[in-house]
Amino acid sequence: MVINRDNKKGSSDNDPGHLDVPGSYNDNPSVQDNAITLRENALIDDKTTLLIREKLVSAREDAANFRENAASLREDAIYHREETVLQLEDAADLPECKAPLSEQDAQSAESMLAASDDHLKLLQQANAHLVIASIEAHKMAEQVQMAKDQLAHLAHHDVLTALPNRILLLDRMNSAIELAARQGWQLALMFMDLDRFKYVNDSLGHAVGDQLLQSVAQCLLDSARHSDTISRQGGDEFVVLLPFIERAEEAALCAQKIIVALDLPHHIDGHDLHISVSIGISIFPKDGQDAESLIKNADTAMYCAKESGRNKYKFFEPEMNIRAVRRHSMEASLRRALDRHEFVLYYQPKIDLNSGVIVGVEVLIRWQHPERGQILPTQFVSIAEDCGLILPIGRWVLREACLQAQAWRQAGLPPISIAVNTSALEFHAENFLQNIRDTLQEACLEPHYLELELTESVLMRDAEFTNTVLHELSDLGVTLAIDDFGTGYSSLSYLRQFPIDTLKIDQSFVNRIINSPDDASIVSAVISLGKSLKLRVIAEGVETSEQLAFLQAQQCDEVQGYYLGRPMVAEALASYLRTGVIPLS
Amino acid sequence: MEINDLQRHLIIKDVIAQLIKNDEDVVMNLWEPLATQIISIVGEGGFNSLFLRTIYLNQATFPWLAVSLLSTQTNQQLMNLKMNLDKQAPAQLCEANSVLLITLTDILASLIGEPLTIRILQLAWGVELLTKAGMEFNDE
Repeated sequence: MVINRDNKKGSSDNDPGHLDVPGSYNDNPSVQDNAITLRENALIDDKTTLLIREKLVSAREDAANFRENAASLREDAIYHREETVLQLEDAADLPECKAPLSEQDAQSAESMLAASDDHLKLLQQANAHLVIASIEAHKMAEQVQMAKDQLAHLAHHDVLTALPNRILLLDRMNSAIELAARQGWQLALMFMDLDRFKYVNDSLGHAVGDQLLQSVAQCLLDSARHSDTISRQGGDEFVVLLPFIERAEEAALCAQKIIVALDLPHHIDGHDLHISVSIGISIFPKDGQDAESLIKNADTAMYCAKESGRNKYKFFEPEMNIRAVRRHSMEASLRRALDRHEFVLYYQPKIDLNSGVIVGVEVLIRWQHPERGQILPTQFVSIAEDCGLILPIGRWVLREACLQAQAWRQAGLPPISIAVNTSALEFHAENFLQNIRDTLQEACLEPHYLELELTESVLMRDAEFTNTVLHELSDLGVTLAIDDFGTGYSSLSYLRQFPIDTLKIDQSFVNRIINSPDDASIVSAVISLGKSLKLRVIAEGVETSEQLAFLQAQQCDEVQGYYLGRPMVAEALASYLRTGVIPLS
Repeated sequence: MEINDLQRHLIIKDVIAQLIKNDEDVVMNLWEPLATQIISIVGEGGFNSLFLRTIYLNQATFPWLAVSLLSTQTNQQLMNLKMNLDKQAPAQLCEANSVLLITLTDILASLIGEPLTIRILQLAWGVELLTKAGMEFNDE
């Protein structure tokens, strides 16, 4: 094209419009012919040039169209590809949709559909796992919360009775004291301890004891107001907080209500158990400004209630502290008494009613206190039991008694049996049997001269263990007596089951045999029972000739009491033994 | 119109009361379609977990539900539920069904949200039923 244009440019010199040689050939015909020819040729050339130009324009237009067509084709191709992809996607989303697809596309769609089904199943499984895991997490959170709640409850409540424990009581007391101080109110604190609860545990076992505590707790809840706090301090001790009282008499009424409520029998494990309670009361602000002193003073008042006969309440008085201090002092003195040889044994004779001869003695302990003089066992044995001193004291009594019996024999006095009281604590002590054997061996005393006096409560606890120990003692040759018979459970089954030798009628019956026909009947019945079971029967607490006459008439085997001989020291008893007979009135 | 949890509870109670009043079977009409819908989303394991949790949470109120815990198959679970429900008086039947369905849907809503739960109930029991009941409660 460029060449043509150049040629055309080259030929432009022949163009008439551009000829600038005037008259040079107009004057010559041949020149004119040539000029015409040149013009004709130029015209021809012009036409050719036009044709060429037209062709060039057309070619340009064709090229443009071609380019446009090519672009259109490319766009179509892209559109087709996109459409194919959309169809495949549609096929994947809507399996039921029958999009017109090629065979390859259909295969692709099928594989995608299969993959979608798998994904759905996986999603369903994942959902199931998520639901299960979430619910399990809920359960675990619930369990953790429950455990936390239980721990919080355990930290503030007694496990056995579910009552508030000491920690919660102190918390409530502090709040109540704060409020009472602000409002000018009074509050009362009642400290209570079950009377002789230990004997229930000892005789019927801890399971029954625990049920009794639960029954008592319920009884206290029933007796108290909703605003009061009933707390178990441990063991058989309970505390009641009355957060608002107008007068101290209200606390007295509440205490009396509790005493009456607890007086009813508790039906437990086939037993009708009777339990009483001793209550000490302290009042805020009179008896203490803080929780600790109120509890301490109520506790002191409770001890006074116990000492004055149990089953009653006492308000705290400052003088009570002196008595409490004395008790603590006695405990401290008691611990030193053994080492200082302050204990002395007394012997009370037992008389055979047929012969009138002393056949035995009951060994009784006395405490010769350096400052307070002679102290009776009723004043210190319970303290000794509480602080565990009863075990060494019991071992000392047994050893001294056996040595004394042997000493009397070696002195040529008639042989008699010695009866030693045995407490539940001693009977259940680990080395009880071995200690008996060792002591008899050390004293060279024949076992049948030793009699152990056991209360019914000792026998009732853990029958299997008791049976084993009693049979071992019996096999050893030691004789066994039931002390205070008739005051406890008086179970006839253990008379048959256990190797018992003697029944000892409690002095409370003997005291009343003259004035009370019922008691006389009971004593007669026990004597008859003993005879039927081939047991010796001894009546203790004989203080009058009438009582003695009655017992003789009933053919009681043996008697013991002030009427026949008070407890006496070994030397005094030796005098009686020398004569052999105590004259009966 | 959105339905909240309180309305859902009222709707469930109302639907159950209507079915029992018409002497229609609640397990067949409500429990089974609901189980089908839930299973389609969370599988049988998921539904069983929800169901057993529902039973556990209501055992204290309805001790007779305990026997249903013996099976792990959904069909068996629902059959046991029906057997136990059939032994109850109408008032107890109505109350137990309401409490159980409310508990189950509450748990479901706590896991997947209220709107999805309502959608599942609509799929199971029909959009109209829930919408109509929901509107009635909205009007109140």
